[in-house]
Amino acid sequence: MRSLRSYTLLIRWQALRLKAFLPLAIIVQALFALGIVVGYPLLFPEIDETTVLFLATGAPAITLITMGLVAVPQVVAQAKTEGTLEYMRSLPVPRLVYLFADLTVWMAIVLPGVAFALAIGVWRFGLDLDVIALVIPAFVLVALTSATVGYAMASVLPPTVAQLLTQVLVVFVLMFSPLNFPPERLPDWLQAIHALLPVQAMGEVIRGTVAASTFPMTVGAWALLAAWCVGGLGIAFVTLQRRR
Amino acid sequence: MLLEIEGVSKTYRSPTRRGAGTRANDGIDLHVDAGQVFGLLGHNGAGKTTLVNQVVGLLRPDAGTIHIDGRDAVADPGYARQACSLQPQAQLPIDGLTPDQAIELLGRLRGGSPALVRERRERFVEALAIGEWRGQGGERLSGGVKRLVSFAMAAVVPGRVVILDEPTNDVDPVRRRLLWGQVRALADEGAAVLLVTHNVVEAERSVDRLAILDRGRVIAQGTPAALKAEVADDLRVELVLEPGTAAPAPAAFVRRYVPNGSRAIATIPATRAGEAVAWAESLRRDGVVEEFSLAPATLEDVYIELVGRADALATREKTDALAA
Repeated sequence: MRSLRSYTLLIRWQALRLKAFLPLAIIVQALFALGIVVGYPLLFPEIDETTVLFLATGAPAITLITMGLVAVPQVVAQAKTEGTLEYMRSLPVPRLVYLFADLTVWMAIVLPGVAFALAIGVWRFGLDLDVIALVIPAFVLVALTSATVGYAMASVLPPTVAQLLTQVLVVFVLMFSPLNFPPERLPDWLQAIHALLPVQAMGEVIRGTVAASTFPMTVGAWALLAAWCVGGLGIAFVTLQRRR
Repeated sequence: MLLEIEGVSKTYRSPTRRGAGTRANDGIDLHVDAGQVFGLLGHNGAGKTTLVNQVVGLLRPDAGTIHIDGRDAVADPGYARQACSLQPQAQLPIDGLTPDQAIELLGRLRGGSPALVRERRERFVEALAIGEWRGQGGERLSGGVKRLVSFAMAAVVPGRVVILDEPTNDVDPVRRRLLWGQVRALADEGAAVLLVTHNVVEAERSVDRLAILDRGRVIAQGTPAALKAEVADDLRVELVLEPGTAAPAPAAFVRRYVPNGSRAIATIPATRAGEAVAWAESLRRDGVVEEFSLAPATLEDVYIELVGRADALATREKTDALAA
C-alpha cells in the first residue's frame, strides 16, 4: 500500500519535472520518422513495396530505440551530475518503486510520439497496415526495454562517458542495424552480433505486429527482449541500491 | 541519545585504484540528542558531507557504527532514510515544480497525511516568507528561494534526525533569521538537528553544541561557550584599512594576525588592550586605518586557532615522516 502510494507520488513528481520534455519528445520523434520515411527513399532511384514497408515500420522502432538509448541516458546522466539522483536516493522510497515510477513516466513520454511516427509512414506511402492486437504489448515491451537498457547504461557509466556513448549508439542504430532493411544485407559477423543485441529483435517485434501478414513474428525475439529488459532492470536496480 | 556516531572512518578509493585514496573521515565520534541543534563546522573538504551521507545511508562507512534511536543505521539503510530527512548541499533542481508542489510531494513521500502535509506546508511558506513565489515554476526561482524551499522539503514531515547541509547559502539576511528560527523550532519539536556549515558566526548563535572537523577528524567538540573558553583571555582588534593601503605589520604583542582584503584581524592578550588601542589609534592617525574596533574573541577566532594548530601539527607530522 505504502509502495503504491510512493509510486503514484513519484510519477507525479517526475511527470511535473519532465512535462516540458513531452512536446519536445513528440517533435523529435516525428522528425526522426520524417527523416526515415521521406529522406531515406531519396537514396534509391526507385523503391519496391518491401522497402517501403521496412521504412514505414522501421521508423517507429527507431524512434522508440533512440528515445530509450539516447534521451533516457542523457536525462539520467544529467540527474547524476546535478545531484538529483543522489537526492532521490536519500528519500524513504524503495529503489524498485523509484525505478518503476521513472520508467512509467518515460513510457508515457515516448509512446505518443510513436503513433506519429507510424502515421507519417502510412500517410507518405498510402499503406494498408495489418495491425494485430499484440501491437500494444509489443510497443510497450520495446519502449520499456530500450528505456531500461538506457537507464542501466547511464547508472553504471560516468555521466560524460554515457553521453558520448549515446552519440555512438545513434549512428549504430540508424546505419548499421537491420531496422530499415533485412538483416541478410549485413556481413555475417554483424548479423551474429545483432542476433544477440536487442535492436533487431525490437524491429522484428514491431514489424510483426503492425504488418503481420508480411513479416513473421518469432517467440525468440520476444524472449530476447524480455531478457534484455530484465537484465537492464537488474543492473539499474543494483546500481541504485549500492552504497559506495 | 538519538544519533550516535562512533569511530566512523571513510576512505574514497582513488579513481585509478592505485595509491591510498582520500581519507575523508577518520575515526569520528559524535552524539546528538533529541531537541538539540548540533553544528558541524569545517573547511571545504573537511569531511562534513561525507559524514552526513553515511548517516542517511548513501555511503557505507569503512569502519565504525552509526545508531539512530538505538538502531543500527549502517546495517539498515532503509531505516536510516526513513529516520533522517536531508536538505542536501547541492541546489535541488526542481524545474517544472512549484514550491507548493515540491514541498507537498516531499511531505507525502515521507509518509505525511494530505491534511498534515498541507498544514505544515502553509506553516513553512509563511514562516520563511516565500509566499510570493509559491506558485512559480522552480526553474524561475532565485538560488536563495530554492534553498528555502529545499529546507521546507526537509522539514515538512521531518525525520527523527534532520540533516541540513549549508542551509543558509544564497539566502538573504532577513530570511536567514527566519530560517534559523525554524531550525530551532524543529529541535524544539523533538528532532535531533545536525547542521553542516562553514559559517561560524551564524552557527555560534544557533547551535547548542558543535564539533570542528579538520581533515576528517574532530579536533574540538563542545558548547560554543566551552569552546570559546580556549580564547577567553584574548581580544580581537579589527582594522578597517584605508582603500588602497596594504595591511600594516602587526605590533609585537599580536598573537595572531590575519590580513584579509580591506580588513585585518589581530588577536591580542586581554592584558595588552591599552597598548593595542594606542597602536590602532596611531595607525588611524597615519592614514593606514580608516577605523578599528576592539571586541572579545569570537567562535570564529577559536575556529581559526584550532584549525591553524591542527594544520601546523599535520605539517610537522609530514615533515617528521619525510625525515624518518
